[in-house]
Parts: sequence; C-alpha cells; structure tokens
Amino acid sequence: MVESDYQINLKQRYLDHFWKKEELDKSKQKLKKKTDSELLEVNLCNLELESPLILASGILGVSSSLMTKIKKVGAGAVTTKSIGPRPRKGYKNPSIIPIDKKTFLNSIGLANPGIDYFLPEIKKLKQEKVKTIVSVFGNSIESYIEIAIKAQNAGADAIELNISCPHDNISKICQDKQLTYKYVAAVKKELKIPLFVKLSPNVTDICEIALSAEKAGADAVTAINTVNAMAIDIETQRPILSHGSGGLSGKAIHSIAIKKVYDLYKVLDIPIIGCGGIFSWKDVVEFFLAGASAVQIGSAMYQGINIISKINQGIIKFLNENNFESISDLTGIAHNFPMQTDPDF
Amino acid sequence: MIKKIRTVLISKVFQESKNIKTISFNVNSLLKKYSSEYYTPTPGEFLMVWVPGVDEIPISLSNYDESGDWSITIKKVGECTKALFNLQEGDKIGIRGPYGNGFKIPVDCEEKSLIFIFCGCIVIAPLIPLIFKLNKLEKKFIVIEGVKSENEIIFRDYLEEFLIENESLYISTNDGSYGYKGFATNLFNLILEEETKEGNRINHVFSCGPEKMMYELFLICEKKNIPFQTSLERVMRCGFGICGSCVLDPSGIRVCIEGPVFDSKILRTCTDFGKYNRDFSGKKYKI
Repeated sequence: MVESDYQINLKQRYLDHFWKKEELDKSKQKLKKKTDSELLEVNLCNLELESPLILASGILGVSSSLMTKIKKVGAGAVTTKSIGPRPRKGYKNPSIIPIDKKTFLNSIGLANPGIDYFLPEIKKLKQEKVKTIVSVFGNSIESYIEIAIKAQNAGADAIELNISCPHDNISKICQDKQLTYKYVAAVKKELKIPLFVKLSPNVTDICEIALSAEKAGADAVTAINTVNAMAIDIETQRPILSHGSGGLSGKAIHSIAIKKVYDLYKVLDIPIIGCGGIFSWKDVVEFFLAGASAVQIGSAMYQGINIISKINQGIIKFLNENNFESISDLTGIAHNFPMQTDPDF
Repeated sequence: MIKKIRTVLISKVFQESKNIKTISFNVNSLLKKYSSEYYTPTPGEFLMVWVPGVDEIPISLSNYDESGDWSITIKKVGECTKALFNLQEGDKIGIRGPYGNGFKIPVDCEEKSLIFIFCGCIVIAPLIPLIFKLNKLEKKFIVIEGVKSENEIIFRDYLEEFLIENESLYISTNDGSYGYKGFATNLFNLILEEETKEGNRINHVFSCGPEKMMYELFLICEKKNIPFQTSLERVMRCGFGICGSCVLDPSGIRVCIEGPVFDSKILRTCTDFGKYNRDFSGKKYKI
C-alpha cells in the first residue's frame, strides 16, 4: 500500500512527539519542581497565560467589570462579545433558552454596543491587566479590518475573527475556504497582535477551512462555535427562538468539539483553542489530549464564575498525580495511540 | 424550578386597574416532573415569561400558593406587556424560572421595630408575596404605596384586608386624589419622623418601584442608617447568568443571579443604580 502524504505527515508527527517526550523526560530531571500555579501556565502565540482557561466569546463579555472579575477567579484570558461596526440589539427574546441538562440554545443575533462604544471597555481591561481577546465581526472585509485595528490600538492582546456565528450571514465566510482565506489574510496583513479564527462545526470539512485560515496567516484557531440547532414548542407548534433556529452550546456539543479538535490537530501546525461544553477539569484535559493548546469556557458559567477556579484546581491535581510538568505536555497525547482503521470480519 | 420553557394555560385574568392586569396559571403539573416536594418560590423571584410570537420578558411573581397557582401582574407599557394584557383565559404563555435571589427577611426583628414596605406605582407586585410572608411570620410592618392618581392604586382591597388592624397602609397620590398629596418619599419621611418620635426603631425597608424613586429612598435610608433592600429591573436574555445583559458596574454583578434584590451594602458600591441602564446592544443610557 502506498502511503499518502497525509499518512507520512502523521507518522512524522508521532516520531516528533516521542522525540520531544524523550527530551522532556531528560530535562525534567534537571528542572526544579514547578509550583502548582506554574503547571497551568501556557504560552499561546506568545501570550503568556496564567491558565489555559479563557472566557468564550458571547458569554458575559459585555462589561469590563465582569470580565475583570472572571480574570480574578483564575481565567488566563477573556474573549469579549463579538463587536461589530455599530450598535446592534440583536434578535428579540427568547434568544437564549435552556434546552436540556447543561445545554443551551441561543440566537442572540450578534447584539453588541459597537466598536466605538466598546473601546473604553478594552482600555479598562488593559488597565486591570486582563489578557483580552476581542472577538470581531464586520459587514465587509474593510469593516473587519477597521474594527480589529481599533481594538488593537485600544490594547487588545489578540483578535478572534468571528466568521462563524451560526445565525448570521457572516457564517457564509467560514463555509467557504476561499472566503475564509480572503478575510483572514486581509485582517492579518494589517494586524500586529495575534489573530485567532473561530471555526464552525456546521461545515462539510472543518480541516479544509482551518488549513485555509492557517495558510492565510492565522496564529491559532478556536474550535468550535455553536452547532446549528432548533427547538419547537409542541403546545403552540411554533419554533421557540424568535429567530427560529440558533446555536447549541454546552454539554451536548462537548464530544463534537473534541472530535473536531482531534481532526484539526492532525492537519494544523498552529495552536488550537478548544471550545465546547467544558464543565469540569476533566473536559479541559480531554481537549488537551485531543490537541488543544488552550480552551474556552462559556455555557458552564451559569453555575457561577467560581467554576473557573475549581477547574484550575482540578487540573493541577491531575497534573501532579500523573507527574506532568505542564498542562502543555498533554497537548495531542491521544494521537499517540494508533486506532483501528479496518473493521474485523 | 421550571428549567425549560413550558407552556401553561392562563386560568384567570383579573383587571386591577385601567392598564394593569393580573394573570394566573397553574404550574403544579410542571413542577412535579422535577421534584416530588412542592416548590415554593421566594418573594422577589421572577419568571421569564414568553408570549409566543412576541417576546420573552422577566416578570416578578405577584402571587403563588400551595396548589401551584402562580400569578404575574403587568402594566401595559411595551410590546410584550401589551400582548400579555390582551390575553384571555385559556390562552397559552411560556414560562421558565423562577430566577433570582428574592428578598431576605431580617431575623433580628425585635419588639417595637418596624419594617417598611415601599412600593412605587404598579411595582407593588413583587412585594405582595413578601407582605404575605411577613404577615405569616407575625412581623409588624407598614406599607406605603405611592402612585400618580387614585385610579392607579392596585391591590387596595387585598392590602386593607391584611393591614387594617395595624392601620399600617399609607397611600400617596401625586395629584392628591387619594390619601397623602405629594411624593411617596415625602410621605415616607413624615412617617419616619413620627415613628422615631414614638420610640419605634426602623428595622428595615423593602422597596420596589421606578429606579430614580428607589435611589432617592435609598439615600434617605442611608442618611438615617436604615437597612434597605430593593428589586432592580434590567434587560435580560437568559435569566440565569450567562448572557451578561443585566450586568451592573463597577462590581460586575448580574441582576438575574446576584439580584434582582440588592441590599444597601451592594447598592453603595453600585454606580449604575439610579443612574444608568443598558439596552439590548449592551450600551448604557441615562435613566
């Protein structure tokens, strides 16, 4: 059987990984033991984060005061609500509803106060030394660039390009690799700070889109945005959300997100930020094993923002018990195990 | 609590005044699915109420009893309350909740101490369950209802039945058509003076109403060192703490989770209280 490029690439990855592990084992013996909080430190595109946990976009990201609070309970960074060119009230309620245990359906419709109004909030976050990722969307390439630059100048540490909101036209961008390339390349060209691209699971091949973003200069990808979904009230026979359909988040999409991150890790060289249904430290570890270099947490915040510190503690305990020197050592480990490709007959 | 949106039949509609109605529905069958024990809301908690095809808004419970009959009281002001106002018995609305924290009744009420309940306009509704509860606990309290004009007074029969023995219901109207003529805050000041003269200690003020009025009342209470609780209103999407629409600055507290009832300690640190509100875009505007 002739090995495809892809398989060769995969093999190289395994070899690289084991080599790295050997080197690491050697250096481990020389290194002094890290303190607990050092175990959590990650370097994401040259951003030094105290924890791999990042607040996901669209959750609580309206006011700098609340985002500062979230940093104080242990988040490594926060992602703001997606900010567009002008104030937008979004869709009417119901726009976020609980749909099942720990699972939510939303179609907020990119409600946001507009970039000009939001700049002082970014500045305040900067003053409070909160690592801030500003999520950005626009109605043209030019407006994406304009908003990203304004955010950068106000002190944003990174930009997350929202090209994948499932209940807006901008999701057309993430469904087309050429459009993705065009938007990412155009914004990246003008930007000094790292650029993350948020990917949608609602595509035929997420890897194809991600590779396109990588080629266009993306520094990392965030996977995944919410999953297209819908709920209908049987008593009144009508869709519940005012917009009809929306995006599913929380527990129900966790396994979907793990699979996407796992697939992306095989093809990408840039870091992956895992996102989808994180409720405990175990979910974070799982994302890292699948290939994530950091994670975003959103829906679980309904249990209280202190969940972040609980998760951090859980990760530290796991790393100590399993003799890992850093959370980053977990990235991609699940790929070391060859899976059964052909069924038994 | 009702976690997912559930549709209920409106069992009763009662017209309180020209623009105000109370809508009742039974939730017993919904609650049994989640718990074998009867769920009792706390005074001050709110529901997310969905009018299919119109909107979903937060509304405080104005009544509930042990048979699972719950009520909300609404005034015709916006699109959704207008739609609610036009609903009839047998129509369907969606509900989820109750959400929020509710009023905290102080445990250290001594003899000769008084609790004030202060309601501005229609916003007496969230305080009705509190009045029932205080009555059940045999606490001594005074109710002040401030409205623009006599035809806006609601729940009067209700309250009089409850309170006539203590002669503790005071009503103020801006136009003097009933009771004290003038602002309710002025009336509050007068009663406060009188009670203090008689040697009564003011233990607590519970309030609900237009925010500017509540802010004024809060300042009076701060001056006189009286513990104060009020229920605030903000735009909400989720009602359970993830959307961030109802955040108060600068402390980053959410009205749907840490509120809607806040006490003096929190209000002192809140620069938005009485001054700023947010619209659905997240943008602040002056109240």
